[in-house]
Amino acid sequence: MTSLAADVVSALQVGAVVALAPLLTGIMRKVKARTQKRMGASVFQPYYELSKLWVKDEVVSESTSWIFSSTPWIVAVATVTAAFFVPVFLPFSPFSAAGDLLLVVGLLALARFFTMLAGIDAASAFGGIGTSREMMISSLVEPGLFLTIFVVSLTLGGTNLTSLVVAAAKTGVVIAPSMLFALISLFVIILAETGRLPFDNPATHLELTMVHEAMVLEYSGRSLALLEWSQSTKQLVLLALLVNLFLPLGMPTSIEAGVTMLGLGSVAVLLKVCLLAAVVAYVETRVAKWRLFRVPDLLAVAIAVAMVGMVFFYL
Amino acid sequence: MQVPLSEILTLTAVGLLLSTFGVVVRRSFEGWLSAYRYQSVVLAGSTAVIAYETGLWEIYAAAVLTLVVKAVIIPRLLVRVTDSVKDEFKIEANPLVSIRLSLLISALLIALSYGLIHETLISANLDVYALTYLPVSLSLFFIGLFVMVSRRMALNQVVGLLIIENGLFLFTTALTQGVSLIIEVGILADILVGVMISALLLLRMSQTFDSFDMASLESLKDD
Amino acid sequence: MTPDYFSTLLPAIVALFILGALLPLVFRDPRRESIASFVPAAVGSLLTVVLSASVLLSHQVFRFSSPVVAALPSMSLSFYIDGIAAFFMLIIGLVATPVSVYSLGYANSYSGKHSVRALGSLLNVFVLSMVLVTATNGVFSFLLFWELMSLASFLLVVYEHEKETNLRSGITYLVMTHIGTAFIMAAFLVLYFQTGSLSFDSFRASAGNLGPFTKDLVFVLALVGFGTKAGLVPMHIWLPKAHPSAPSNVSALMSGVMLKVGIYGLVRVTLDFAVPSSPGDAWLGMLMVVAGSSSALVGVLYASVEHDIKRALAYHSVENIGIIVLGLGLSVVFMSYGLETIAALALLASMYHSLNHAVFKGLLFMGAGSVLMGTGTADMNKMGGLAKKMPWTALFFLVGSIAIAGLPPLNGFVSEWLTLQALLSSYQVPNVVLQLSIGFASIALALTVGLASATFVKLFGISFLSRPRSQAAEEATEAPVSMIAGMTIAGSLCVALGVLPFVATSAIASGFGFDMGLVSSYAPFGPLTVGYAADGLRSVSSLSMPMVLLLTGSVGAALLGFAAVAGSGKKTVTRPYVTWEGGFGALGERTQYTATSLSQPIRTVFKWFFRPHTTVERDFFSDSNHLIKKSVSVYSETREVFEDDLYSPALRGVVYVLDRMRRLQTGKINSYLLYMMVATIALLVLVVFQP
Repeated sequence: MTSLAADVVSALQVGAVVALAPLLTGIMRKVKARTQKRMGASVFQPYYELSKLWVKDEVVSESTSWIFSSTPWIVAVATVTAAFFVPVFLPFSPFSAAGDLLLVVGLLALARFFTMLAGIDAASAFGGIGTSREMMISSLVEPGLFLTIFVVSLTLGGTNLTSLVVAAAKTGVVIAPSMLFALISLFVIILAETGRLPFDNPATHLELTMVHEAMVLEYSGRSLALLEWSQSTKQLVLLALLVNLFLPLGMPTSIEAGVTMLGLGSVAVLLKVCLLAAVVAYVETRVAKWRLFRVPDLLAVAIAVAMVGMVFFYL
Repeated sequence: MQVPLSEILTLTAVGLLLSTFGVVVRRSFEGWLSAYRYQSVVLAGSTAVIAYETGLWEIYAAAVLTLVVKAVIIPRLLVRVTDSVKDEFKIEANPLVSIRLSLLISALLIALSYGLIHETLISANLDVYALTYLPVSLSLFFIGLFVMVSRRMALNQVVGLLIIENGLFLFTTALTQGVSLIIEVGILADILVGVMISALLLLRMSQTFDSFDMASLESLKDD
Repeated sequence: MTPDYFSTLLPAIVALFILGALLPLVFRDPRRESIASFVPAAVGSLLTVVLSASVLLSHQVFRFSSPVVAALPSMSLSFYIDGIAAFFMLIIGLVATPVSVYSLGYANSYSGKHSVRALGSLLNVFVLSMVLVTATNGVFSFLLFWELMSLASFLLVVYEHEKETNLRSGITYLVMTHIGTAFIMAAFLVLYFQTGSLSFDSFRASAGNLGPFTKDLVFVLALVGFGTKAGLVPMHIWLPKAHPSAPSNVSALMSGVMLKVGIYGLVRVTLDFAVPSSPGDAWLGMLMVVAGSSSALVGVLYASVEHDIKRALAYHSVENIGIIVLGLGLSVVFMSYGLETIAALALLASMYHSLNHAVFKGLLFMGAGSVLMGTGTADMNKMGGLAKKMPWTALFFLVGSIAIAGLPPLNGFVSEWLTLQALLSSYQVPNVVLQLSIGFASIALALTVGLASATFVKLFGISFLSRPRSQAAEEATEAPVSMIAGMTIAGSLCVALGVLPFVATSAIASGFGFDMGLVSSYAPFGPLTVGYAADGLRSVSSLSMPMVLLLTGSVGAALLGFAAVAGSGKKTVTRPYVTWEGGFGALGERTQYTATSLSQPIRTVFKWFFRPHTTVERDFFSDSNHLIKKSVSVYSETREVFEDDLYSPALRGVVYVLDRMRRLQTGKINSYLLYMMVATIALLVLVVFQP
């Protein structure tokens, strides 16, 4: 593919990701509702919410500074930029020569950094709650995440996302034991990163159970829309990453596979992501939110599992 | 009758040692000052003998200088500076080591120095001057050091210093006859100035602390 | 660049710094004193940058012999600036320039209370000694300038000597730095016995011939000695005491540059004198990896519970030095197995991080100094809302925080990316135990990175955001122009080093003599690349910061465009109001989080490390009724593990022995004379009667 065509295709891919992210959130909420024997709102409800928020006025606290107002934009830009580097629907990303898996993690960390700052900026106790808890959780997520990346890089070769996804596609259904451990670890970590139970309840209004919600409590209107949208996009990107690296069934193994193969591949990815989202939602209904200081135990489990995966690879 | 040289030299050596005993035995300031005068005369005499035998005029000059500075100038200086010092500071009433014991120890030190020199004499080839005077000078050095250790009164410790210097002077003259006169003069000037300064300092000390008891200066220790 | 050009630059630099040291002594007015000392310092530092850049660009080694040659050839002052020395001189110059500009304004806060000329002249001496340490070529001159550097920094640490704590920190610093110097001297002495000469040239020449035991000994001694100066655990205890006590511009220099001089010594010994060449040397590298990762973790853990800005920054220096030494250790391990490419990668990561840390730590300390000057306090629990009162300081502190947290697009991310890639490349080492150990070390590093960004959220957030927590913070004033100018220079360096990594990578590659094509492309805007090849899998991980920036910019533009277009024609209004307080009414400054409360979850999770000691004091209205309390106070403090468990017992033991020996000092002159006499007799007897 010529580079201009590649750029266009990549922009289209990111556009699709951004457009479909709220749908994924809607699907998760629907699955949760159905499991709880409720009808639940329509799967398109997040879109209605976002468009409603988009045209509302904002109330900004006087105690805040420019950091508060700029954070939603920074978070949105960082998350969408990260989406450029991850091969979501197609088995390649033209920007893999510019950034790899570590850059994606770094960009998401940048978004989180500013969100944490915004939490403190409002000078309310809620923001402080959210930020202090997020500080603890994020610092413990890092080692697990890096170990998982380590195992993946050892098994599939390097951190270049295109080559990782292609290598995963080539292995087909058979999964190495180290990858299995890495899968479990990455699943737990994604639960932590996207703020799902048992780490954080995305639907809560009680400060006892808030982490992400507390940090964005002061936001309203367009800024809140941006933040919610970025959260959904992050969720989609991370789930797609997990699917493409660990469950590559149906993914075409090379870039030149032809349009139909690529189309089938993207549909397969979509289906798998929706399935995974449903699994996440189901898991959410089965567990309660854990007490804050039990959360490090769970993250330690993730670290330990990834460590075992690494040992399995070497031995 | 020509008396053999070694006999004469031994005589002078004996005289020096006896005079040192005389210094050690005295308790009072004036006592040891006069004994010191006597020792200096003997020292000058031995130096003159060496000069006569070797025929070098420098040693004559050194002998004369010794006589003048050590037997005359230094005692006068000390008497003048310490005129105002009270008498009780000049008498060693309660020495750290008793006089009898210090005599015994001085004898032991003389024996030690003779023994040390004897060991080295086996290997080295020394002439008659060195043979006679080397042990004497070493014992003068040790006895002077011992005197400083055993005296309680500061003023009386100056005598130890002077005895050490005598020993060193004898050492250089015996070992290297014809030592440059400049060095002799230098050493003498050094000792002169040293004595003056120490006397002045002791004077100040007596005025400030009203005591010369060196042992009681221990109370000044910062503990 | 001909050698003549160099040989005028170096004396010019020396002359400028000496001018800066002596000139302020002439004036009486603090204003003129500060100009007289810091302007030559700034110009001298700039010339240092020029000199080092020219050495790096020309790929030559620059030798210079001072015209003043002492009587003994081993004591002559000869200078040898090769790529390694030039790179570290570049670091010194790049940080000293903005700090000197900054000091013009900062020194004014001391006028009237302390002697500004002492600050100025000592600063010049300090920087000059550091420049000369990196440039010397012989043990004697190295130790001379090293001592000068330690003494100048000691005097600067106790600059505000009316505070008791500063004096104690100074003494701790002095003792620790001299222990380190003793180890360095020991290492050099071992090399001297091996080669018979005190010149570094002879050390370099015999590098291949060192026996394994000698090499190990030199290596360990140098690691302890230079590690003390650099602040490696467990020799780091002076760092969190000395850096906060010194004036902020001095802290910036100490933290940014002096620690790197320690790293320079370590690099010299490792790469020039005791080169690892066989797999048997790998344990030395692992020692460094272990020391580095534990320093990183210990440093960041202690930093996360600190509420004094400067102490927290000092602990972060310990953390970053740990990362640098980790990279260096990895490089040693790879070198001993002959894996040239990834050894170069690890070395690149380590040196890039040195450069980055110098720049952003200098920036952060300058920001902290500005806050200190504006509010009069360094305690974060008394600050708040400074982003509105001190907007420029806040902006640059934010830049520094993002950089040190290792977030894109700034320089910290690039060096972290390189370090992580070096760790990921450890699969090439053919020893399973080493591979696993490096894997464990990477856990420590990842935890450090996570905690670092959390800590800087706290540092920046509590100090600059939310509402003022005390009167001092309410009345804070912005820093003067010179201080902002200094911070601007450092901040732009952070951005430049992050967006255009090729500048630093080419400097490091030319300085350390490896082919840049191994890890980076030759094009100025090209990406950093790391190859992976094993088990039939081939891939290339690459990072192109300019591209990332471009992408981010376009995304931002697209988003703004979208926001402008999609709104169904309705313009939204932003209304200011108070923070939501749950309907309880006005919020005071006590309802917001403090630094201590923000780090409480981390403190709880890592309780086994901090071992907090809590005392509860209860005050009662009447002694008969203990149910009604007037007040309850809770004090909680964390223990300093290394001081309490390692250094205090050792100190107590030494003091005990010395106390016993004190009995010899009776205070009586007679006994001292007796000692002399006994010693003389004993010596004579020994000499005469020996067999």
